[in-house]
Amino acid sequence: MASVKLTKVKKIYDNKVVAVHDFDLDIQDKEFVVFVGPSGCGKSTTLRMIAGLEEISEGTVEIDGVVVNDLQPKDRDIAMVFQNYALYPHMTVYDNIAFSLRLRKMPEDLIYEKVTNAAEILGITEYLMRKPRALSGGQRQRVAIGRAMVRESKVFLMDEPLSNLDAKLRNQMRAEIILLRQKMDTTFIYVTHDQTEAMTLADRIVIMKDGYIMQVGTPAECFDMPANLFVAEFIGAPKMNIIKTELLKENGKYYVTPFDTKIEVTGEKGAELARRGVESGPVLLGVRPEHITLCREGEGIPTILEVNEMMGSELHLHVYVQPKEEGEEDQGEAKEPAPVDPASCLIVRVPTIGLTADQRKNMAYGAPLNITFEGKVMHFFDPETEKNLLL
Amino acid sequence: MSKQREEAQAVMKRHMGLKASARISNTVIHIVLVLMAIIWLVPFVCIVLQSFRTETNPDGTRVTWMVPYIVPKKWGLDNYVNLFKSDFKDWYLNTFIIALVVAAVQTFIVLCMSYTLSRFRFKLRKGLMQFMLILGMFPGMLTMIILYRVLKDLGLTEAHAVPGLILVYVASSGMGYYVSKGFFDTIPKTLDEAARVDGASRAQVLFKIILPLAKPIVIYTVLTAFMAPWGDFVFARYIAFGDSSGMNAAVGLWKWLTQDMINLRYTMFCAGGVVVAIPVAVLFMCLQKYYVEGVTGGAVKG
Repeated sequence: MASVKLTKVKKIYDNKVVAVHDFDLDIQDKEFVVFVGPSGCGKSTTLRMIAGLEEISEGTVEIDGVVVNDLQPKDRDIAMVFQNYALYPHMTVYDNIAFSLRLRKMPEDLIYEKVTNAAEILGITEYLMRKPRALSGGQRQRVAIGRAMVRESKVFLMDEPLSNLDAKLRNQMRAEIILLRQKMDTTFIYVTHDQTEAMTLADRIVIMKDGYIMQVGTPAECFDMPANLFVAEFIGAPKMNIIKTELLKENGKYYVTPFDTKIEVTGEKGAELARRGVESGPVLLGVRPEHITLCREGEGIPTILEVNEMMGSELHLHVYVQPKEEGEEDQGEAKEPAPVDPASCLIVRVPTIGLTADQRKNMAYGAPLNITFEGKVMHFFDPETEKNLLL
Repeated sequence: MSKQREEAQAVMKRHMGLKASARISNTVIHIVLVLMAIIWLVPFVCIVLQSFRTETNPDGTRVTWMVPYIVPKKWGLDNYVNLFKSDFKDWYLNTFIIALVVAAVQTFIVLCMSYTLSRFRFKLRKGLMQFMLILGMFPGMLTMIILYRVLKDLGLTEAHAVPGLILVYVASSGMGYYVSKGFFDTIPKTLDEAARVDGASRAQVLFKIILPLAKPIVIYTVLTAFMAPWGDFVFARYIAFGDSSGMNAAVGLWKWLTQDMINLRYTMFCAGGVVVAIPVAVLFMCLQKYYVEGVTGGAVKG
């Protein structure tokens, strides 16, 4: 149970590569913070610097107000779960979990109590006398978590703990980590490249790219108000559609003109644009797939369906906007369809519950679909700086 | 249908043909191997047989010199009894002390060195490794004269040769890191990291995590560290001379092969050879299985 404070932390490798740039972050006591980003963004490096496994090139890391830059990992009072479990293969599960307690010279009966207690919480009691190699991936990860749990340390670090598990097990373990968090009541720092994990687990998300922090905020903040284009595309699945278009200001109202269709910006977004006095100009329009709705023929933007992904409760439709029909006389000979402009490809997320059986049947390759954007949940980014215009 | 059967038979025939030729080549290989084994074993068998030879001359004295036959005419343990009544017991003890101390100290140094080179990153690490590799290419004999000089000045020759020899054998042991460093490199570093986060110091990581996982290589290191001084003659002969109390078994036994001694001690020499070979043979028989034992399974998701 402790706060962690990183001030201007920088990591420069021997080959002069800078992995982390001026990382500033205040982590509150008992907070669950998730570092998320694509691989190579420096999230693991930052975590390892907090753990003491990686040297801190510049800046300071404080745990509970104490600068720990020069402390060995063993003196930082942290626990860590590794992506590849890192169980000691020559020890039984019991000995694995008891290892840190034995190093602390804890009496054997107390160790027994703690180990069996942790094993019970994690449901691995029956495997205590087995060696790690006789366990499945999920069981191994439970042991690894148990090993970190019994330490009752100030900070609990997890480095992509679920990425070696299969999808089903990953969902199950994710839920268990949420439960575990309730029971442990300590400070968590969790590294992942999976935005779903980040969204579901975190109190606060730290989104990183190329060693820089892109945004720090609650999952809702990052989702509703992404600070920049990168965050907008990274958070949310399927990813946000980005359309290069114009923002028009007419009579105090704002419009966007994607694919030559004029759509009014309404609601809070419209009001916020007005409050900030944003002028007309080029803009990168961000629309989440779930904020695109189907509409009747002749309305909205005409598109062609390319891929229909059936997700069960919803459909993910990959569509592209019908190109303007120019030179119609050619159509007879040139059957070969022109390559689809990637900028005109959109993903639409449609709940299956609202569709009739006929509609569903018709959603096949090449089917025409008309779509429109929800005016009140659009995102606007500066085409130059890629920053959110409303932040 | 019949065509298929014919084809199948053809395939079977081909297989049988393969089998027959394989059997022939196997037989040839085994004959060669048996011959080689016999050639290799003959000297050893001779020594063992000679060591049990206890014939006497017509005048009652023992026949202790070389004879033109291999199988003894009279068997007995007299040679062994006499052996341990002679100076040999001192030499044997000396050899044991030297080999045990060297095995312990050298193993410790080699394993620490290997772990350091495998896990730590420091300036000139590569340079150090290359330097030691090149240094190791020079034959150790080159250093004999100067080492003798140094040991003599320290008073560690002749009667006090045992500590001197230990010093020499142990001194360069850090250079023998190659095999064990290679093995340590295959143990995932996350195990170290997990242990360090768990509260282990670097030394605890080495002794509680790495070494138990590297058991085969530890045993290999102990064996090689034990074997070299156990069988050393050249250097020991150079340092331990004159005084019988400072000699090891090889040098002592060699003394019995001089012109004036050989006819008196030949059978005892053979017995000495057998006694020297026993511990090494036992060691190898006991520890052989660790060479092949794989231990890292389950450490990391495979």
